[in-house]
Amino acid sequence: MDASIEVRVEPRPTEPRRVAEIFERFGEEHDLPQPVLMRMELALDEALTNVVSYAFPEESADAVIVVGMDIREHRVRISIEDNGPPFDPLTEAPEPDVELPAEEREIGGLGVLLAKTFVETLRYERVDGRNRLTLEQSLEAQPENPPS
Amino acid sequence: MKVTTSTSGTASVAAVDGRVDSANAKDLDQELAAIVDGGGSRLVVDCSNLRYISSAGLRALLVAIKRTNKEGGGVAMCNVPDHIREVLEVSGFTRLTKVFGTVEEAAASFA
Repeated sequence: MDASIEVRVEPRPTEPRRVAEIFERFGEEHDLPQPVLMRMELALDEALTNVVSYAFPEESADAVIVVGMDIREHRVRISIEDNGPPFDPLTEAPEPDVELPAEEREIGGLGVLLAKTFVETLRYERVDGRNRLTLEQSLEAQPENPPS
Repeated sequence: MKVTTSTSGTASVAAVDGRVDSANAKDLDQELAAIVDGGGSRLVVDCSNLRYISSAGLRALLVAIKRTNKEGGGVAMCNVPDHIREVLEVSGFTRLTKVFGTVEEAAASFA
């Protein structure tokens, strides 16, 4: 069944959870397979956490963040748009080395790595002065376990 | 999120329930730090009722791993649901901490 919703988001640290839970309900209502739902929820949470944490360093009254969620043609798609400065998380976020021992492990970049691993397609565009990150997953085949 | 603390053998056990994300990872950080401050450098994290963890929660875990390692102990995890295990594997955390079936097995790993 085709469906789509749009959620306005404030640049506040409590917002990613609210939106992740909206996605969870949206996915459950439309019978998304549980593994797809959980992986996409995590990817959404990570990407949106980055936006609310970093895209608007100062209290910005004209911050606009919009999350779209839709299911059609056997694909589930989440888009995150913000009017912050241009930032491509797919190339500009630090890449963590997950093979290092604990003492040398750094803190950054894990969220983007998880999103990249858990979602089939991630796409970044700069459109009309906005960043747009699109997360897309086919519902035709169940995702295999990601490489460990 | 709820953290319940107990002991098993010589290990401290933190059962972390619910959802850990960027909104409350700081709370997990503080709860685990309090256990380590209290001498619990052999720390078992029981994930039986851990429903969700994002990278913010992993950061709190990494802080605890670093501290307990430094003090000669470490973190052992147990009862990890499959979808949480997947997150640990992708982020390389299964290299930083061992994952066991039960609290007792995890606690015994420090012996």
